[in-house]
Amino acid sequence: MKDYFNEAHPIISFGYFVLVIGFSMFMLHPIYLIIGLVATCIYSMLLSGFKALKFNIVYMIPMLILMATINPMFNHEGATILFYLKSGNPFTLESVIYGVISALMLIIVIIWFSCYNVVMSSDKVIYLFGKIIPSLSLVFTMVLRFVPVYKKRIQKIILAQKCIETGEVKGILNKLKYGVKILSIMTSWSLESAIETSDSMKARGYGLKGRTSFSNFKMTTYDYYMGIWLVINTVLVIVSYFLTNDSAIYFPTIQINTTNYIGYIAYINLCFTPVLLNIMEALKWKYFVSKI
Amino acid sequence: MQTKRTFISTIIILIIIPLTILFGVYVLDDRKYYFISILIILYTLLPFFLIFETKGPRLRELMLIAVMIALAVAGRAAFFMLPQFKPVVAIVIISGVCLGAESGFLVGAMSGFVSNFYFGQGPWTVYQMFAFGIIGFLAGMLKNSGKLKKNKKALCIYGFLSTFFIYGGIINIQPSLMSEEAFNLKAVLTIYATALPFDLIHSIASVVFLYLISEPMIEKIDRVRVKYGLINTKKQCLSNK
Repeated sequence: MKDYFNEAHPIISFGYFVLVIGFSMFMLHPIYLIIGLVATCIYSMLLSGFKALKFNIVYMIPMLILMATINPMFNHEGATILFYLKSGNPFTLESVIYGVISALMLIIVIIWFSCYNVVMSSDKVIYLFGKIIPSLSLVFTMVLRFVPVYKKRIQKIILAQKCIETGEVKGILNKLKYGVKILSIMTSWSLESAIETSDSMKARGYGLKGRTSFSNFKMTTYDYYMGIWLVINTVLVIVSYFLTNDSAIYFPTIQINTTNYIGYIAYINLCFTPVLLNIMEALKWKYFVSKI
Repeated sequence: MQTKRTFISTIIILIIIPLTILFGVYVLDDRKYYFISILIILYTLLPFFLIFETKGPRLRELMLIAVMIALAVAGRAAFFMLPQFKPVVAIVIISGVCLGAESGFLVGAMSGFVSNFYFGQGPWTVYQMFAFGIIGFLAGMLKNSGKLKKNKKALCIYGFLSTFFIYGGIINIQPSLMSEEAFNLKAVLTIYATALPFDLIHSIASVVFLYLISEPMIEKIDRVRVKYGLINTKKQCLSNK
């Protein structure tokens, strides 16, 4: 399925992920957690389909259970005592719930990152940081190119070695020696060719003043609207967080205030931005199709 | 260059880091360890990257660094079947010893960053970047001060110690930062204890790789540097012999 948020300008999508991941690391309030969890789950499934759902269930649920049981082993605060551990310490309901809450937080961050990995491809990262840190972005680009090249080179070296030497390599020690030999051939080949590449780049004028770089990304009006939308909702979330009493206290007893409605709506808007965008585009498409 | 980095680092250490911690204590009720720790690690990464940029493009040096990072990333990908048994630390140490402390830091930090494009980014990326970077940086520093010799034995010992204490020490602290309670020494120790076998495998992997590849790789790098006349080769070659 096509994801429309993927086509937004890199600044917008990077800013979006910084915001949601940042907020997810902060929010211990159950309502914010539920909003975040639902939003990430839906978005990750939009991005990578059934695979994402499988990943979320297979890895995240065991983690949730693990953290929910580990936390009360070491944390004995809380008023509702369920039973006593062998060491004589109490096992409390509050610390179980707190364990679940902090596990949820971790899970949400990890699922957001899985979305980040799909949307923020390496070309977008290079575009974003190319102007601020040109040397490092060059290194980054080069490495991304080198890795597949090296895989092919190793194959070539192995083939060439097979032509020179007769017979199979037998024994662990010989195999290790063989591996080291191939690696050292590989190292000298790559180092020399890299230096040659750099010389030819220099000959073509790399690093001279006034040279520009090509990029395929343009800020459209659409992107500006999205930027404004993100800023407004972020401000609303932060301001309402500090103005209203929106605390979630877990120790000694659980007290949760759920009165910050503006904050919830703004946070829903923020987290569901990509999903909303996709729904909007789908509706638009249907509307235009029905007109034909 | 050295003074400029010291200047930036001083500002960061004396002003920005304490401000962040105070912000964490007063505004966020001292419960956001994870967020604050990630910020602080990002600050410590910054001066290295900034200095690297201000030196201007020295293409050949950049290329050597890129090759070493690519080897580390490819190595990590090649051994994906064996958990923790990775050659990244070995390659980072070799580059720290051969190319200098700053390049060592960069090779470490960038291999952490780039390899996670294949393995998946996460909040742990920042910690890995920092841990690998510091290992490379220290290798270069110790080599410059003459405490770390360029021979197999010394490198293997440094490889074991640095992987076990620096990498393990930094990486294993993060699960306990994640749950935002008051710091619990017992829980932290449990995490270190459960991580012990993984750290041991990782350290042994570093030793094995350093034992096998350090000599041929150092030889190759030095040869290329002599051949193409890179970074004060004469002085270093004399000191090697």
